[in-house]
Amino acid sequence: MSEVLTMDAPSASDAAAPVPVLEARGLSKRYGDTEAVTGLDLRVGPSEIYCLLGPNGAGKTTTIHLFLGFLEPTAGSVHVMGLDVAAAPLESKRRLAYIPEQVMLYRNLSGLENLEYFAALGGTGSLAPERLTDILVGAGLPRDAVGQRVSEYSKGMRQKVGIAIAIAKEAGALLLDEPTSGLDPQASNEFSELLERLRDRGVAVLMATHDLFRAKESGTRVGIMRHGRLVNEMSTDEIGHADLERIYLEHMHE
Amino acid sequence: MIKHIARKEFTDVVRDGRFRWCAALVGALLLVSLGHGWVQARQAQEELAAAQATARDHWESQGEKNPHSAAHYGIYAFKPRLALSFVDEGVDPYTGTSVWLEAHRQNEFLMRPAQDATAAQRVGALTAAQVLQNLVPLLIILLTFGVLAGEREQGTLRQLLATGIGRRELAVGKALGVAGALMLLLVPAAVVGAAALVVGSTGPAASPLARGTVLAGVYLAYFAAFVGLGLAVSAWARSARTALVVLVGVWVVNGLVAPRAAVDLSKWIHPTPSAVEFAHTLEQEMAAGVEGIERPDRAAFSEGLLAEYGVERAEDLPVNEVGLYLQESEEFGNRIFDRNYGALWDTFERQGLVHEALAVAAPLLAVRTLSMGLAGTDVEQHRHFATAAETYRRDMMRQMNLDLAENSRTGELYLAGPELWADVPPLQYDAPTLGWVLGNRLLSLLVLGAWLAGAVLLAAKRVRLAEVA
Repeated sequence: MSEVLTMDAPSASDAAAPVPVLEARGLSKRYGDTEAVTGLDLRVGPSEIYCLLGPNGAGKTTTIHLFLGFLEPTAGSVHVMGLDVAAAPLESKRRLAYIPEQVMLYRNLSGLENLEYFAALGGTGSLAPERLTDILVGAGLPRDAVGQRVSEYSKGMRQKVGIAIAIAKEAGALLLDEPTSGLDPQASNEFSELLERLRDRGVAVLMATHDLFRAKESGTRVGIMRHGRLVNEMSTDEIGHADLERIYLEHMHE
Repeated sequence: MIKHIARKEFTDVVRDGRFRWCAALVGALLLVSLGHGWVQARQAQEELAAAQATARDHWESQGEKNPHSAAHYGIYAFKPRLALSFVDEGVDPYTGTSVWLEAHRQNEFLMRPAQDATAAQRVGALTAAQVLQNLVPLLIILLTFGVLAGEREQGTLRQLLATGIGRRELAVGKALGVAGALMLLLVPAAVVGAAALVVGSTGPAASPLARGTVLAGVYLAYFAAFVGLGLAVSAWARSARTALVVLVGVWVVNGLVAPRAAVDLSKWIHPTPSAVEFAHTLEQEMAAGVEGIERPDRAAFSEGLLAEYGVERAEDLPVNEVGLYLQESEEFGNRIFDRNYGALWDTFERQGLVHEALAVAAPLLAVRTLSMGLAGTDVEQHRHFATAAETYRRDMMRQMNLDLAENSRTGELYLAGPELWADVPPLQYDAPTLGWVLGNRLLSLLVLGAWLAGAVLLAAKRVRLAEVA
């Protein structure tokens, strides 16, 4: 695998001189005549939460799917911890965790069994049931729901299992696609706290979202996409809530 | 990794109420059909053995009579049932299992019209073979149609592949999980089948355990091909519903359309005469002979015999002219029988080859041929027995005719006794070996192997190309 490594894998201690954990270089994806993503350059370092904002069809989910290797770029490349996703699709996926908008689980299995399964596939190895239970509870799932079949779970509970799956993987990068969509405010808040804990551990987060408030609260940087292009990028330290909303709307009305 | 996927798939399937109901139903049908088949086969074998003993007893106790009268009295020969016939009764119900062996005639029980329509008529009765050939594949379809298409629809496939597992591992794991669930009903059936073979085998020794092992291998290959096909279609289809419709279509073609079409097509390519036509031709040729097989002329035969022994009257011959002429007539008849029955059997054989070749369109055709072959109930093994019985009849007739010729003079009243009847050995039939069966069924073995390899390759390709969302 060494031939596909283009740089050293980062760690939390590299925060001072961040090496990109997630990187897109001149990334484009075209479907027929439609440009879903065009010339995207993006870098997310350790302990960074990068929020991709934009309307539906802006290219956010396509970007996430390109990082996951579900789609092949028309041009450019994507890298996870220095690994070219096209050259090392499986290895790169093992280094990241993913939470989709709707976490879908196996209905006939319990939350614990789902976590055990995904954790085993993610390369974490066999974790003890007690440890898995702690992860689920830590992700906000009530302890008495851990052994229940997922068919009895609400969307919020499934989302928490999805978070637990991401935590258990102990990946250096986390890809989130509208993860708080449909969650109630409390669950959404708990989710933000979890993100912050992961960030503190050095995890690089790339989150596609419509939620300007959550992006400003949790994100360290924000990128605005429109028609497949990254039209603006800023640090959340530099702007207030109102500024972000204004800038976003300005881009949407261009 | 594969172990985790297989275990999860197994758990998921086994907890699915739909699978439990279907598997319980198919499993119960399989066990009942095995048990019922075994009881029937055992009963039939006992009846055959008793009938054979009775027939022999009648033969030996027929009292004093002319050997030619005894030849007309004849004896019944009964085709023994092989141990595995309880799994697949094959063509036996349509060809019959007994034949009356008598002078001048090769009796026609082999040519029953039902033999021409075995495929259609066999649909009616539920045997273990039919459960294995039709219902288990249907269960496999129910297990596999959603394994990838369903995951894609539900969104779990995206999450699954995001973990970094390879698609080949995913396919193998899922196939093993499905196979594990299937084993819940196949293993008990195999145990019952093996126990029935070991405990209750009443048929002649013909390597029942070796045949049973190969039979199990054939069915496992068939099921594995269906698992591969199910995976391939599930990976290819846009939705689980589409995958189900396509797979059920495959099942209908494989299980219902292809067998009927194969019978019709093979008969169309290699037509056989009707039973009436066949009997009429045989009667005509026996009466007048055909080119190359002349009916012996009694007067010419007598003249030849008198010249050979240098006497002028038949009464002066040291042998009974009637016995020798009867044997001469018998041999003429044998040549006519060989010509007509040989042609008919050869046509059946060519029809069988067409049938086997058509298995490239439906694996059931290959499996059915192999299943009947290994169970000892196919047309070829019926021919094997019929040939043995006919050889026995000819030997017996020769013994009767020569006894008459050698122990009496022309015009004398001659009666033979129990010593002669007892001197005729009972029919000893050795069923074909496993090697003989497999040698005859190489084409089916190859086609089944090709189906398995093709299904695996197709599944590997479709899973590799499967869209994530």
